[in-house]
Amino acid sequence: MIRKEINKISEVGKALISVEGNPGVALNHVVELLEADTNQSLSFAKAINITEDTTRFQVFNGTTGLSTQTKIRMHEIPLTAGFSNKMLGRSFDGAGEVSDGGPDVIFEKEVSTRLDTLNPTVRNVPKQALWTGIPMIDVFNTLVKSQKIPIFAGPTEPYNRLLSQIAQGAQADVIIFAGIGLKFDEYHYFKEQLAQSGNIDKTIMFTHLAGDSQIKGLMLPDVALSVAREFGDQGKDVLVLLTDMTNWSNILRNVANYQDMIPSLQGYPGSLYSELAKRYEVAADIEGAGSITIIGATTLESLEDPVPDNTGYITEGQFFLENGKLKLARSLSRLKQGVNGKTRSDHRAIMTAMASLLADAEKAYEASEVGAANDAYSQKLLRYRTDFIDNIEEPFGEPIELEPALDKCWAILKRHFEPTETGLSKKLIEEFWDNN
Amino acid sequence: MNDIKKKRTGNLISIQDSLVRARFFDDVIMGETAEISVDGKFLQAEVLQIQPDPKNADAGIVEMQVFEDLTGAKIGDEVVFKGTPLSVLLGPGLLTSVWDGLQNPLYKLSEEDHYLKPGMNAPALDEEALWDFTPSVKVGDTVSGGDVIGNVPEGKVDHKILVPFSFGACKVESIIDKSSLNITQQVAVIVDEQNKKHELQLAFRQPVKTPIPFVDRAIPSKPISTGVRVIDLLAPVGYGGTVGNPGPFGAGKTVLQHSLCKYAVADIIIMAACGERAGEAVEVFKEFAELEDPTTGESLMNRMCIFGNTSSMPVAAREASVFIALTVGEYYRYQGKKVVMLADSTSRWAQALRERSGRQGDIPGPEAFPMDIPDQIKGMYQRAGDDLGTGGSLTFIGTVSPAGGNFQEPVTQATMDATGGFWGLSQDRADAKKYPAIDPLVYTTSVYDGFVSWKDRQKMIQTLNDANDIDQTISTIGLKKVPVSNYIQFQKGLTIDFCVMQQDAFEKNDACTRPARLDVINEAVQNLIDSDIDFNAGDVDDEQLKELIKHKFDELRQWWRAWNYSAISEEEISTLPSAVDKFILQEEYAV
Repeated sequence: MIRKEINKISEVGKALISVEGNPGVALNHVVELLEADTNQSLSFAKAINITEDTTRFQVFNGTTGLSTQTKIRMHEIPLTAGFSNKMLGRSFDGAGEVSDGGPDVIFEKEVSTRLDTLNPTVRNVPKQALWTGIPMIDVFNTLVKSQKIPIFAGPTEPYNRLLSQIAQGAQADVIIFAGIGLKFDEYHYFKEQLAQSGNIDKTIMFTHLAGDSQIKGLMLPDVALSVAREFGDQGKDVLVLLTDMTNWSNILRNVANYQDMIPSLQGYPGSLYSELAKRYEVAADIEGAGSITIIGATTLESLEDPVPDNTGYITEGQFFLENGKLKLARSLSRLKQGVNGKTRSDHRAIMTAMASLLADAEKAYEASEVGAANDAYSQKLLRYRTDFIDNIEEPFGEPIELEPALDKCWAILKRHFEPTETGLSKKLIEEFWDNN
Repeated sequence: MNDIKKKRTGNLISIQDSLVRARFFDDVIMGETAEISVDGKFLQAEVLQIQPDPKNADAGIVEMQVFEDLTGAKIGDEVVFKGTPLSVLLGPGLLTSVWDGLQNPLYKLSEEDHYLKPGMNAPALDEEALWDFTPSVKVGDTVSGGDVIGNVPEGKVDHKILVPFSFGACKVESIIDKSSLNITQQVAVIVDEQNKKHELQLAFRQPVKTPIPFVDRAIPSKPISTGVRVIDLLAPVGYGGTVGNPGPFGAGKTVLQHSLCKYAVADIIIMAACGERAGEAVEVFKEFAELEDPTTGESLMNRMCIFGNTSSMPVAAREASVFIALTVGEYYRYQGKKVVMLADSTSRWAQALRERSGRQGDIPGPEAFPMDIPDQIKGMYQRAGDDLGTGGSLTFIGTVSPAGGNFQEPVTQATMDATGGFWGLSQDRADAKKYPAIDPLVYTTSVYDGFVSWKDRQKMIQTLNDANDIDQTISTIGLKKVPVSNYIQFQKGLTIDFCVMQQDAFEKNDACTRPARLDVINEAVQNLIDSDIDFNAGDVDDEQLKELIKHKFDELRQWWRAWNYSAISEEEISTLPSAVDKFILQEEYAV
């Protein structure tokens, strides 16, 4: 097939180029940029804004080295991602090209990266727990197959360590790792961890390192999620790890600014919510097919920042990591009610009771800072708080199954409180208090 | 809008996300819909603005928002103008339906593909289903827009067949006899004053931005039993009222919406899932279908319809979805039905307007929202109301998702200004897992005759307020320095909060409290508030006494919570006031 070529780049910016006139290219279709003399391929680009006077493209490999002489070859198709079972165990870049130095992968098919919305009627209501061995998750905020949930953490918190710990224990047929703006040591860490846990053969890594082309980082989740979706459609249970979506949002912000879009909050485009939602909503338990679970990482300075704030409205809860601990107060699994009523009879009650006591304990802790927690009950609460932080909010350690974890909760309550102080029903107290 | 029969077209000259511009040579009507032909698919669009063409004096330029993904669109692609504004199909079969934001039936679309692709569409209402029509007018009668010409049973709902609202006075030329027919078949022919004949069917299209009128609009006063205690006791909403329900994420907006869907006493519930998680809408139409409507004993879905324009669907359709849902609500209100509409979330609707105005290059207002966002929000809530003329009402409860949980942001502020009620969800209460996290001290209501007397309500609020103040004192100066009498008041407030204001939406018996049970609870609460309790502690110091008081109240609270979960029979229910009386007298109360 002879592809139409054009040769009139009029503007070269940071990640964008423009062409004068109307070359007939369609929205979101891909073009290839070629060195004028040698026809050597320099990069691909995507048409994002078309008028009868100019057409604007996002350049995947960055614009350095491009000139007004650079040739544009039209491919007349939207961006697709290559798909093959042979991708398992391999690493790719944000455009889906092999990036581990290994041999080329022969793709079985090309899949659309448009991330069309799944018809809600073919979604199953999520009902299957994904056990992690982390009591703070399993007991208090149970993770559910097909959930979309981020880890909220300060930039220096061990969020990638937590992400990889969850991934290692999770029951998934395929793990898709999507790293955006990673530091090299983070990439290396994940690769090591996955190799050590024996999961590498069911993992595909899509990585974009800090300093790589911004557009490739921007595209990466779409390519990774399209591949994940194809596995899901084929009946596989897929776990996608997206880290770090704050990096991704910052690229989105940069590119929006290059496009002169009107910023809403802190320079982010008004579409930040929709853009994040489009990616996270890929998580689904699909009727008659497989499932896609997404665990993201969102780094933040403050919960009110636009990225964690918008993310919180999109995802089905969040795990909040602070000082290396998974904090109960701000963590939430919105899907836990679908699974934690079918476990041991004390599960929900003990979760509520301990949370309520911890909230009281936090108040006592604040009071203690001004020397106002001098009564006996406040002292009890303070001891309980320390115990809870050390023994329940600690995510790193030997995995514990649900029932021993529940027993551990009873033991903590018994260490500090009288039965009536817990707010637990008489029936549960009779059944469990003295057994632990 | 004109009846222009000639095909009017234009061609695309610019494409940017969901905003396109086209050059046209005929005429274009502001607000009309259009179809853009892209790769053989027809994408739906709406005209936003008409301008002169600087390049061609004979042509004009029209700016449109497109409701579907435009991948593949090219300069020159043809636009066909439809001559009609964005509208909704009204008729039997609305109930139990699940649509996208443009009234495409989602179950029907899923037969074609698991994914929603641009250009997919299907008839909004089932065209094959047969309805038993009984006429109520005869040949020669005069009818006009909104008049009833007959009715069909739609499940348990008596669905009236109306003359479309756009008609003036007309004569009935023909009307079919009692018969079974579908929505595409002719039921009547009417003749207008210009002697023009019009065929009527069971269903008709109504523009969504033109409100369906009230017959005799009234102020909402009769409270709705929502089953949620903190609402029904402190912040009731009346039939036809409006409520803004803001809360940061994780504060429990969704669970509250689901509770309202399940337990609010109403004929019809309309849910506009606007820009929110798909999973939540799915939970409603898949799980609620299996739940029983407490009043009819039928599936809850039989009184519901759902517009699911979820967060990953095209943004432009979000604005449409709320107006479409409102129009369906007005239609049933006009038929005399008590309708409750839940919009989750109006912030996403406002964000859709923000994205659009940004692309159009409008000068942005606060946080880049359009300058006129407060007026648009007010205009939307104003469409709710009570209608004495028809006996129907449309109640509008909109959730608000404030950025950063900050109630000072433009959408929350405009909503507070626009609505009669305000249920603020508190992050602190949610963090303490005190659900529903409506702060009993931060809300407004415009209903003064609630389920308990105004005086009782004030006493309850006073006690909660006192407890809150004393709590703050304890946190600042320590429990030791707080007088015993204040400590008892604090414990009373704590008990009312813990046992009454907090409610477990996931416990079968606690999830919904009806007025009769509220009366019993109120009796116990009032007695507790009025009580003067002697704890007969003997010779102990203040600190020991306080510990004893706390212990006694802990026991009461444990007992009361158990009552919430387990008291079902009348006899069991009646044990609450007597237990509280015994507690006040410091006697043993039954377990």
